[in-house]
Amino acid sequence: MSGWLSGKRVRIEGVSPAIASALAAQDAAVDDSEDCDIWVHVAPPPAIRLAHELTHSEWRASLDIGLDRRFLGARDFAAQCRARGTGGAVLFVGAPEQALGADHAAAAGALGNLTKTLSVEWARDGIRVNSILTRDTGNTLGNLAAYLVSDYAAYVTGAVMGIDLDD
Amino acid sequence: MLVTGGGSGMGLAMAKAFAQGGAQVAVLGRSIERAEEGAQQIAALGVRAHAMSCDVRQPDAIAAAFDEAERALGPIGLLANNAGANFPILAEDISPNAWNAVTRIAIDGTFLCSAEFARRLIARGEGGAIVNNSAQYIWTGFPGDAHSAAAKTAQATMTRKLAADWAPYGIRVNAIAAGFFPHDTSTAGRREGGVELLQNMIPAGRTGSIWEFGWLSAMTCTPLFGDMTGQVIVQDGGESLRRSLMMPDFVPPRERGDGPWGWQ
Repeated sequence: MSGWLSGKRVRIEGVSPAIASALAAQDAAVDDSEDCDIWVHVAPPPAIRLAHELTHSEWRASLDIGLDRRFLGARDFAAQCRARGTGGAVLFVGAPEQALGADHAAAAGALGNLTKTLSVEWARDGIRVNSILTRDTGNTLGNLAAYLVSDYAAYVTGAVMGIDLDD
Repeated sequence: MLVTGGGSGMGLAMAKAFAQGGAQVAVLGRSIERAEEGAQQIAALGVRAHAMSCDVRQPDAIAAAFDEAERALGPIGLLANNAGANFPILAEDISPNAWNAVTRIAIDGTFLCSAEFARRLIARGEGGAIVNNSAQYIWTGFPGDAHSAAAKTAQATMTRKLAADWAPYGIRVNAIAAGFFPHDTSTAGRREGGVELLQNMIPAGRTGSIWEFGWLSAMTCTPLFGDMTGQVIVQDGGESLRRSLMMPDFVPPRERGDGPWGWQ
């Protein structure tokens, strides 16, 4: 059960030790190069605040990292894939919709439907787009991420999933 | 592991993927002949396989089948609920017998097999994993296939609750909302050109390869995904997603009996 990602170049934006080690364990070349076959974006969870105590700048920061940056990054990645004439895989990772504050609820809900939308827009380019919304930070997250960005999951696109019952 | 409806089609694909991972496989089928054919193909992968005939709507028969499987192969620790029938038909033409057959094999069968499996694991103090074969049309309805629309959604929603009920016992339950994976016994694609017509309709540009379904099914049951439970994972090449706000003119199911999903 190894070598799922042999020959694949992966860029991970954000921090997830479990994902980084699982992708490397499947022989992916993980680096910061813009030129990559797989783009994984991991958003850090914003602090939990009651909606009426969120400042607009806090709100905006959550939406920037949880939604806007993801869209713009995926858009750039997809353009590179098309320019190369190759397919690719995008994976968004973050917390479940209702796990944190209203800022995250808005961003995560938007992200889920964005995932479904981009997956269709880019399907014939061979670019897949999926999301994992979970509190899990362990090995299952890493292995699930490795599966989803691998060619074994070539028929999985537009999928938004969690890991455990709280997700 | 035990797979229901494992003699052919998607169940056999599941069984083969588990076998590739080293599992010994008990193959349950309505028809013992078909179960035996499947078991032979599974055994050819180098694992032990045991074929049995069982009606998954009968709790006593399920208990007996688990007894036999565990005598032949040892304790069963993984279960794939695949048994199901499906055929396009107008709702008004579904007889009570047809309705009962499709819904009870999938709904009662999945529940009864899962509960039998879980009771045995709980009694032994062991964890385990279940994967259910659901479908990509569980969120949208499936005009022209009402019995299967109901049955497949029940499988998905029970997946979440079974997972919650059995989480304290270390029994994981997940489902695949499968798109179209053509195989010998699938309904569409039987007619000439059927599969090609379907491929053009799917964002990914192709139907699924049945081993892709098998891999994901088996993967959810491995320790690699050891924390995953209660999930319904869609695997359909984008087929179930909206493609446009513009839709083709609506054609009532009773006026499209000869299409790729036609009921004639």
